[in-house]
Amino acid sequence: MPGETPEPDGGVSQTITKPASRENGDSPADGESTDDGHADSETAASEFRGEDLVVGYPSSEQPVIDGASIEVAPGEVTALVGPNGSGKSTLLKGLADQLALDSGVVRLDGTDIHDMETKELARKLGLLSQENVAPDSITVEQLVEHGRYPHRGFFDGLTDADRAEIDRAIELAGVEHLREREVGQLSGGQKQLVWIAMVLAQDTDVLLLDEPTTFLDLHHQLEVMEIVRTLRDDSDMTVVVVLHDIQQAARHADRMVALKDGEIRARGPPEAVITERLLADVFEIDAAVERTPRGPRIEPLHPRHEGDPDKQS
Amino acid sequence: MASESATATDSVSRHRRAFEWLSGSLWTVVLGSLLVIAGGTLVQVSFGSFSTTPIEAWQALFNPDVIFNLQAWRHFVFGAEFPVLGAELPEMNRRSLIVWNIRFPRVLVAILVGMNLAVSGAIFQAVTRNELASPFILGVSSGAGLMILLVLVALSGATLVIPYVVGSVVLDITSLLPIIAALGGIGAFLLVYAIAWKNGTSPVRLVLAGVIVGTVFQSLQTGLFFFASDIGVVQSAIAWTTGSLTGVDWEQVRMALPWTIPVLILSVSSARQLNVLLLGERTASSLGMNVERMRFALSTVAVVAAAAAIAVAGIVGFVGLIVPHMVRNIVGSDYKHLVVGCLFAGPALMVAADVGARLGLMVLAGSSEQVPVGIVTGLLGGPYFLYLMRKQDTMGEI
Repeated sequence: MPGETPEPDGGVSQTITKPASRENGDSPADGESTDDGHADSETAASEFRGEDLVVGYPSSEQPVIDGASIEVAPGEVTALVGPNGSGKSTLLKGLADQLALDSGVVRLDGTDIHDMETKELARKLGLLSQENVAPDSITVEQLVEHGRYPHRGFFDGLTDADRAEIDRAIELAGVEHLREREVGQLSGGQKQLVWIAMVLAQDTDVLLLDEPTTFLDLHHQLEVMEIVRTLRDDSDMTVVVVLHDIQQAARHADRMVALKDGEIRARGPPEAVITERLLADVFEIDAAVERTPRGPRIEPLHPRHEGDPDKQS
Repeated sequence: MASESATATDSVSRHRRAFEWLSGSLWTVVLGSLLVIAGGTLVQVSFGSFSTTPIEAWQALFNPDVIFNLQAWRHFVFGAEFPVLGAELPEMNRRSLIVWNIRFPRVLVAILVGMNLAVSGAIFQAVTRNELASPFILGVSSGAGLMILLVLVALSGATLVIPYVVGSVVLDITSLLPIIAALGGIGAFLLVYAIAWKNGTSPVRLVLAGVIVGTVFQSLQTGLFFFASDIGVVQSAIAWTTGSLTGVDWEQVRMALPWTIPVLILSVSSARQLNVLLLGERTASSLGMNVERMRFALSTVAVVAAAAAIAVAGIVGFVGLIVPHMVRNIVGSDYKHLVVGCLFAGPALMVAADVGARLGLMVLAGSSEQVPVGIVTGLLGGPYFLYLMRKQDTMGEI
């Protein structure tokens, strides 16, 4: 079971396997690993990690995430996957300081993010929630402009730098043609791209996306994942993305973290994480996994029920 | 590359058009409101028990002997008793006296009340993210109403002895009614916030807490009516709790203006914060806004605005609810435009409604009685919402 470390309260010392290029069809050698993501410090990308996180909602006694540690490799795309209710969105909110941690600490470049001023954090860490609402009558440009909020003081107008950043974000998200349209007139997919443009205008080093592709048509799903890839390649951004679709995660992420019942069940590059055993264990499905040059391909077969015989991988 | 530059200019011109359209609709609101205010002012200064022709009234209003008289302005702005800057009212003819000392200040108070209520409503609609929120949604009106009834019924005749440098000042408690009412409103707002607070608040919790406090205070207020000794007290209480501009003059202008100016500046300058709040708590917070603190600060501005209006005019309903709504229908949800629109449309509605309140019965029944202005705003507000309900499919969330 390469890369799989089913430790409910896994410490920080967990090894993280080095990302392997999937495009050339290389299958990663088992056990090939380095100690830490920040060891390869030739990149300027931000280092981001959560240590022994216990996260829950004020309304319930039991924490949803009970002692998970996650280290996000700088300048890479990390996908959080897991079945409904596995705590992947909760973990993301805990990492973004949107849910108070019961214990544990989230560090961004070594600093505890809870000690950072809210605007200072928002200049370094962007979060796009799963569902977003905006008044129908504002224009796309006005919405993207709000991404500059953490960079502006109470009385500050828009500077030229702000405008340049807004233009860049709109271009990156590919919504130039929608610029003057009212948000209420857009389709779901277009809206999502516009929201991504807003969070890009924040100009952060780390970007957290909560199910950005759920409910989108295939075209827009690919658009979103392509933007994520561009951000990683061109801007050296560290991206953590919650994905509902495990196949999508396998295809686009450098690393995957699989959760179930608030525990991290596996982590590592997709080739290591996506196994028939893991799909049975975490997603409770029987599936066939096929290695392809574009990463593992999953063919879901049956739902598994309690008492089903263990599938041999 | 030719096509690219063509799309670039296209986008610029589109940008300009959108911009012009936006400010164009805002201009419509501003100019339309100014026309209504001017028309209402003309009617208010012309007619009444001492009738003049409109031309005479205008002449009295623009009487250079008053407008360019520093002493007169010192009297208007600071009153007769204010140290150093205050002054007695200078001699002027009877017509100017009536226009300048009685009728025109009433219009000014209507303008200030309209501004405060409209802006207050606009802010609360953003804070609660609910189009149907009013300035009184967080208990302000019920707190103020209860204090008014307490003072008029239970404490009438009581005096307050305030120790002063030499001796003491004895104040009849009813003369402090405006301040007590405003403080009651602010107190109820704080109580609502305390009830709603549980590791922070949320719009829904705030609104529910407002309903809780409102229901209890409303019952207590109604209960107090049973102890009212005579019809005069009841009428006075009703005038206060429905909102009335009868008998207001420069003193009320002096009372409301110092609060209106900071409210005005703060509401216009926090338009962007209100816009970000409209994106929802989670987004606002991930953009680096301290949502809890901002929500309380903005609510405080809105409550101060509502309290200033209550202190001079009592609890005028509907203005703070329908004005932001009407303006939003014309200029859109961008608070940079909406707040400015409210600052003009609020006074327009209030001045127009006060024309009806002051002169309506005279026209309809030939009587010189006046009705509380709150009755007129309610009569205008109800049908407006009926119209909206018929026209729009969805109402509620902004």
